[in-house]
Amino acid sequence: MTSSEVIFTDVSKFYGEVLGVNKVTLHIPPGITSLVGPNGSGKTTLMNLMTGLIRPGRGSISVLGLSPTEPEKLMRVTGYATQFDSSPRWATGMEFVTTGLTLYGYSQNEARNRAWQALDQVGLTEAADRKVAGYSKGMRQRVRLAQAIAHDPQVLVLDEPLNGLDPLVRADTISLFRRYAAEGRHVIISSHVLQEVDLISDQVILISNGMIVAEGEIRGVRDEISEHPSQFIIRCRDASRIASLLFCEDHVTEIKMNDDRLGLLVLTRNREEFSRALTRIALAGYVIDGVIPSDESVDALYEYLIGGGRS
Amino acid sequence: MTAAITRVEVQQAWTIARSEMRRAFLSKRGLWVYLLALFPAAAYLAHDVQMKVMEERWARHGLTSVQLVDSFTKGETADAVLKRAPNPAFDHSWKNRRDDDGDRDGRAAEGREKDGKDRKERAEETVQRRAITYFDGQRVVDLRFSDGVLQEKLVRPIRDLEKDRRIFAGIFQYFYLRLAIFFGCLGIFMNLFRGEMLDKTLHFWFLMPVRREVLLAGKYVAGLVAASVIFGGGALLGYAAVLWPHSGVEGQAFMAAAGWSHAFWYAAAAVLGCLGYGSVFLAAGLLLRNPIIPAAVILLWESINGFLPAVLQKLSVLYYLQSLCPEAAPIDENSPMLRLLLAPAAPASKSLAIAGLVVVTALVLWAASRAVRKIEINYSTE
Repeated sequence: MTSSEVIFTDVSKFYGEVLGVNKVTLHIPPGITSLVGPNGSGKTTLMNLMTGLIRPGRGSISVLGLSPTEPEKLMRVTGYATQFDSSPRWATGMEFVTTGLTLYGYSQNEARNRAWQALDQVGLTEAADRKVAGYSKGMRQRVRLAQAIAHDPQVLVLDEPLNGLDPLVRADTISLFRRYAAEGRHVIISSHVLQEVDLISDQVILISNGMIVAEGEIRGVRDEISEHPSQFIIRCRDASRIASLLFCEDHVTEIKMNDDRLGLLVLTRNREEFSRALTRIALAGYVIDGVIPSDESVDALYEYLIGGGRS
Repeated sequence: MTAAITRVEVQQAWTIARSEMRRAFLSKRGLWVYLLALFPAAAYLAHDVQMKVMEERWARHGLTSVQLVDSFTKGETADAVLKRAPNPAFDHSWKNRRDDDGDRDGRAAEGREKDGKDRKERAEETVQRRAITYFDGQRVVDLRFSDGVLQEKLVRPIRDLEKDRRIFAGIFQYFYLRLAIFFGCLGIFMNLFRGEMLDKTLHFWFLMPVRREVLLAGKYVAGLVAASVIFGGGALLGYAAVLWPHSGVEGQAFMAAAGWSHAFWYAAAAVLGCLGYGSVFLAAGLLLRNPIIPAAVILLWESINGFLPAVLQKLSVLYYLQSLCPEAAPIDENSPMLRLLLAPAAPASKSLAIAGLVVVTALVLWAASRAVRKIEINYSTE
């Protein structure tokens, strides 16, 4: 069976009596997918399950049609940068990446070239011949990323990949993710930095207590949250008049005026009705400079769906 | 296609083995393994040094030719002996009561009563004793004289190849096979998976495009090469330390007759011990967290194995290893309990012993390959 998706079907994993994930069913399409959830919510468990480091107690997992029980096939198309902050004591940065590549069947020369390119991408060429055990935390993070990308995988799984990266390398890394996504590959990341998730994700998976709370494109997920009105910021010149017009609409639940009286925060239960109302107001001659959704972010989704205690 | 896959997997296993050899040879946790492996050689070298010192000490007191020493016969007088060999290492005279003399000579009390002499009379009789000791460069010869006549000639070689070989056979079987290789393999092979779990580095290998069985094979080869070099080398060094001081005619004759063969089989037994115990402890490292439990259970199994039915005896690594040893280990006849505990099972032929070890190893590795597929990375529980 071939597939272009990462599929979890009714997957449960318990560590003894401790819940890892419970009855997870997911279809992850190509692109950048972010796993978001508090500490202990099951993000790393999902990543370990899809790379075969742990086995599900129930259900099945398929990565591009491959089973995680067959690492000899799966890991040829998958790269995983774990959060495990340890590496073999014997390895220099170059050896760490090269040893892996020789197991992929690359010749020594080819492996060294690829390793050098990967280390270059994460800005680690100067430290390539130093022992990984002596690296700083950020450098160890980068060398794991280099190892994960060195064989040019179709599925890149990255546990908190941006932690410890300096701004320049972080920007390069995000560009790399975008390039991978544009090429139709999977980039599955977990991150605590919600602003970054917002910036780079094509879709998000919100997870809490081992259960999937929501999944899909951020906008789509937001639309499904009916109990929280959608929030929009309207930049306009006649804010008080526009506010009074909008207040007549049934779907508008709350309006807050900016102190500068040049903007409004509007809460609506019906985005389409709100859009039509704005069109009517604009056609009536009121100047509207811009409309920005203010809660179509992972941050807002996180607050709505998971609440406090974010990690 | 199958051949191509096999070749790739062999290359993968060798790549893993090469990386893991560093870990197996140089693990900080495993440096004590070298002490175990080198103990027999070190003990014999210390023994050799001691013998050398003793020889020099005797030689300082006087050296007599072998021919002269061999020419002394019972019944000769001390004067005649000293006339022929005037430079003894020691010459010591004393007097004894006849009574003491009788005791020393081992005569029974009844014998004395037959003489019809009472104790008081005997106490007045004395015997002139003399001990003259010669050293011919290799042997210490004690000549015991009573009333000036040679009664006894005791020859003690400083170096005794036969005795040294016998002791080595004992050290090899009771210490080297049962303890050194056993615990050495425990340290080396359990460290291959369990050590990586403790170091939290096992995921490095699990995230490679390698079948778990290939990973197991690579790690096993690394452990086997390291253990074989350490313990096979240790066995050869130990045996060399036994033979090295016997470089004379006796030593050369032994080497020409059986020395090389013995050295080969000691090394082979050590290597095959690593093969067998290595597989057992590799499997134990996959199945159990605490090495003490499998070590105790296996050690107990190996110790009682000689008393088990023949079929069960063959499920022991030690049974086959002892069958490969070129010389039987000495058993202390005065310690029945020790004899009971250390009694070896009836030996198998060498070819059967090798085949048996290979079969036991293959079975254990097969079980290990089943276990390694089920291993999960869960460092928090380690």
